[in-house]
Amino acid sequence: MTVHDMKHAASDSARLEAVGGRLSRVDGPAKITGAAHYAFEQQLEGLTHAVLVGATIAAGKVTAIDTRAAETAPGVLAVLTPETIMELKTASDWFGNRPSDGPYSPLVREVTFSGQHVAAVVAETFEQAVAAAALVKVWYDEMPAIVDLSDGKAGDGMPIDAMTKEWGDAQSAFAAAPVRICAAYNTPREFQAAMEPHGLIARWQGDELTVWEPSQWLDGMARTYAEWFDIPFENVRLISPYIGGGFGSKALALAHSAVAAAAARMLERPVKLVLSRPQNFTSYGGRAATRQTVAIGADRNGRIQSIVHRGVNETAVDGMWVEPLGSVTSIMYATPNFSSKQNVVRVNTVVPGAKRAPGENPSAFGIECAIDELAYELGLDPLEMRLINYAEQDPHAKKAWSTRQLREAFAAGAEAFGWAKRSPQPRSMREGRQLIGWGVAAGTYPVRRAYGEAVVKIMANGSVEVESSSIDMGQGTYTILAQTAAETLGVPVENVLVKLGDSHFARAGVTGGSRLAGVMTGAVHKATGQALDELIGLGLSDPRSPFHGLQANTLQVRNGRIASPRGEGPELSIAELMSAVGRERIEAKGDTLPASTTPEERYANYTTIAKSIPHTEGDYSRHSWCAHFVEVRVDEDFGTVRVSRVVSALDSGRLYNPKLAESQWKGGIIMGIGQALLEEGIVDRRHGRIVNGNFADYMLPTNADIPDIQTISVGIPDPHSSALGGKGVGELGIVGVAPAIANAVFHATGKRVRDLPITLEKLI
Amino acid sequence: MTSQIQTIIDPPEDGHFRNGLATNGSTPSPTTLSLHLTINGRDHALDVEPRVTLLDALRERLHLTGTKKGCDQGQCGACTVHVDGERVLACLTLAAQVEGRSITTIEGLANEDGTLNAVQAAFLEQDAFQCGYCTPGQIMSAVACIREGHAGSDEEIREYMAGNLCRCGAYPNIVAAVRQAAQELRS
Repeated sequence: MTVHDMKHAASDSARLEAVGGRLSRVDGPAKITGAAHYAFEQQLEGLTHAVLVGATIAAGKVTAIDTRAAETAPGVLAVLTPETIMELKTASDWFGNRPSDGPYSPLVREVTFSGQHVAAVVAETFEQAVAAAALVKVWYDEMPAIVDLSDGKAGDGMPIDAMTKEWGDAQSAFAAAPVRICAAYNTPREFQAAMEPHGLIARWQGDELTVWEPSQWLDGMARTYAEWFDIPFENVRLISPYIGGGFGSKALALAHSAVAAAAARMLERPVKLVLSRPQNFTSYGGRAATRQTVAIGADRNGRIQSIVHRGVNETAVDGMWVEPLGSVTSIMYATPNFSSKQNVVRVNTVVPGAKRAPGENPSAFGIECAIDELAYELGLDPLEMRLINYAEQDPHAKKAWSTRQLREAFAAGAEAFGWAKRSPQPRSMREGRQLIGWGVAAGTYPVRRAYGEAVVKIMANGSVEVESSSIDMGQGTYTILAQTAAETLGVPVENVLVKLGDSHFARAGVTGGSRLAGVMTGAVHKATGQALDELIGLGLSDPRSPFHGLQANTLQVRNGRIASPRGEGPELSIAELMSAVGRERIEAKGDTLPASTTPEERYANYTTIAKSIPHTEGDYSRHSWCAHFVEVRVDEDFGTVRVSRVVSALDSGRLYNPKLAESQWKGGIIMGIGQALLEEGIVDRRHGRIVNGNFADYMLPTNADIPDIQTISVGIPDPHSSALGGKGVGELGIVGVAPAIANAVFHATGKRVRDLPITLEKLI
Repeated sequence: MTSQIQTIIDPPEDGHFRNGLATNGSTPSPTTLSLHLTINGRDHALDVEPRVTLLDALRERLHLTGTKKGCDQGQCGACTVHVDGERVLACLTLAAQVEGRSITTIEGLANEDGTLNAVQAAFLEQDAFQCGYCTPGQIMSAVACIREGHAGSDEEIREYMAGNLCRCGAYPNIVAAVRQAAQELRS
C-alpha cells in the first residue's frame, strides 16, 4: 500500500487535475525523496539472502555438484541443488495452458543455456551468500551448443503457421512489377535492461505465501506461484508498490522467483533473492534476434503492387517465443498482393521475451527501411512515397480504421522538422567533416483491449480511495487513475488516494501491450460512477439527508461539494452528507466484464492473456500511429553516428495526462536510439555466453547520447478503442525510430546499413 | 581511523590477508568492524564485515533504501551519494572507507521541515523520471553537478550527467530540471 502526498498550486488546479490535464506525478514526491519503497526493499525480521549459481556451459548435463565448501562457509543456511531443492509442480503458461502435470525444478541438471540456474546458496547476509556461492563447484558433460541464428547448426527452423498472412498473388505480382527491391534486415538480441534488477522477497506463513516482487502482472504471477506450490490462488499475495522499470520483462514469475520461494518454504524463513546485473542478462529473455527479407514491387508511379515478407526469430531449445515480424508489414501500406511467413529457430538461449513493442518494433525496421529503399529506387521523396501508398483501411483485416491520424502525423512532423528543406541526394548535406542526414519512418501499435475492475470507496471524511492490483512502473497509473476518479466524482484530486500493487486489491490483467491506461481508466470511471450514483441516491432518498424532500431528480458534486443542479436547498461537503446519513463509507466495485461472465472466466481474464479482445473485433481496426523525423550527423572520417534532432508526431488518441504521455513517448524514442546505434547482445561463439552482460559493455543510451526531442500529439479521442478515448502510448514511441535513423544514415552517407546496431565499422 | 582503513585495504606483503581475512583456507572467517557513520547529519553505529559496501550498509543494515542498487559494478550511477559533498558511487565504496566523513543520501537532501531541494522540486516539475529507480542517483549527481559548476549549458549538463543511466529515457527532462535548478540556485 502506498500513500502519496499531493500538493500543487491551487490556482490552476482544476485544469491540471481533469482527465487530460498536465498534473505532475502523484507518486513523484515519494520517488524524489527516497521514501518510495520498491518491492524488495521491505524490511523483514529474520530475512535471509540467496545467491544463484549459473551454468558455465550452454548445453549439456550437470554431472556433479560439490557443495561441501559452501555449506561450511560462515553464515550459510542451505545450498540448494537440483537434488535438494523441494519439488514443485509445473505451472501453466500465460495463455492458461498447463503443459504437464509433472514436476518442475527451477534448478536444472540438463543445461540448455549459459547462466541457467544450477544451484543456490542461502545465508544470513548477502556478503556471506555471495562468497559461498563462489565455493560451489559444478562439473559438466558439455555438448555442442547452437549459439545464435548465424550458427551453422541452427538451420531454417520451424514454420509458425499462425503467423502466415496472405492475400492476392504476392509472388507473381512481385515478379511482374516494373520496379522491385528486395533486402534483408537483421536485429540483434536486445535486452530490456530496466534499472531495477529482477528479484524478490518470499515469506511463508503456514500455507500462505507473500511475495514482494517487481511485477507487471500481480494476478498472473500469483497464479504461477499458486500452481508451483499447489496452494489456492487466494493463498498467494503479491506486493509491488513501485516497479523500477519493466519494459515487458517483469510480467512473469521466473525460475529465480521459484528458487527464492522454495528456499523460503524449506528454511521457514523469508528469503531475499536479487539477480546480479550480469544474471539479469541470462535469467530471462530479452528481445529475440530477428532476420527479415522484404521484397516490394511497385509501378513506376510508386504504387505498391506486392509485398513478400519472410521472417525468422530465435527461440530457446526448451521454450517458445514468437516475435510477430509481419505485424506492421501487413498493415502499414495499401497493397493488392501480400505474403508474410515466419519461422522460429531454436538456439541455446534463455527463452526470449517481451521487450517494448514485441513484433511491431522489428517488423517496422524491415518495412520502414524497405519503403525508403523503394523511394530512392523510384526517385521519390520518402515522405511522398508513404503518402502515395497510404492505407485508407486495414489492408489485412479489410476493416475501417477506428482512427488513423497518420497523415496528420506526417504533416505536423514534417512541418516542425523542416522536411521541405531536405536535399534529396545522399551525401548532399554536410557541416565541415560531418555528413548530415534526414530520415523519416512511421510506426504503429495495436490497441490491445481487455476487461478490468476497480474498487472505489468514498470515506466518511469525504476522501476517496481507488484500489486495483494493477501497477505503476513509471507510466503514470497512480496519477491518471486519481485524475479519472476526481473528475468522475467531482472532487479535488488531492482528496483521492490511489492504491496499487497488491494482489489482494481488485483484480487486474497484465500491464503490457500498452493496455493498462485504457482498461483501468474505464474501470475506475465505471466504479466511480457507481459510487457517485449511490452517494446521490443517499442524498435524495435517505430521510436524514438535508436534500430529502427537495423533490430534485439528481444532485451535482463539484469540487467535493454537493448541491442540487438548480441551486435550491443546501450545499454540503461529501463528509457532511456522509455524516448526516450516518454512513462510514460507500464502496463500489466496477468492472467492464460482460454481465454473463462466470467466475472461471473472470479468473482466466485476470490471470491469463487468453481473454484479450482482438484489436480488429467488430467493425474497426484499432491502432495508435506515429511518424518520426530524425537528423543524424556522421563523422566522415570515423563513421560515428550521432542523433542530433528528433521530431515525432504521434496519435495515441486522447491523452489522459499529456505531461506523462510525452515522457513515455520520449522514453520509447530514446530506447529506439539505443536500438539503432548501441544495443547488441554479443555471444561468445565457443561457449554460447553473453559476453557483454553488464551496463558498461551492453551499451544503453546515456544522457550525452540524446538530443532535444520534440513530440507532437496529433491524436483525437477514439471511442472504439477505450471508454475515455485513449489509445496505446507506452510501446508506440519506439516503433519506427530505428528505421528512421537507418534511413537518415543512408541519406547522410549513401550507405544502407540493414543490420542493427549501426556501428562505425559498418560505415567506414 | 585512516590507519585502520589502510590496514584493511592494503594487501600484505605476502599476498595473504590476515586480520580475519585469511585466504589460506576455503572458508574465510571475516572479522566484524564496529563503525560509526555520519549519514544525513546523524550518527549511526553498526557492526559489519570489512567487505560490506556503503551501498549494502545503507540498504540492508540502516534501511536507508532511497539509495538504489542498479548494477553493483559502478556502471549505472543509481547508488550515487555524497561523501563530504562530492558524488561517490556507494557500490564501489566500502562502508569502512567513509567512517568519519559526512555522508548525504537522498533521504537527507530535503530540509528538516520537508522543503524540497531545488533539484528535487525541478525533477518533479519537469517530470524528470518515470519509474523513479535511477532518480535518487540522478538527483544526487545533479546537486553535485551544479555545485561543481558543470551545469553552464545543456551540452555540459548532458556530459556531466552521463554517468547516471536512465532506462525510462527521461534524459531531456533531466537536462531541463538541472538547467532550471541551476538557474534558481544562481539567482
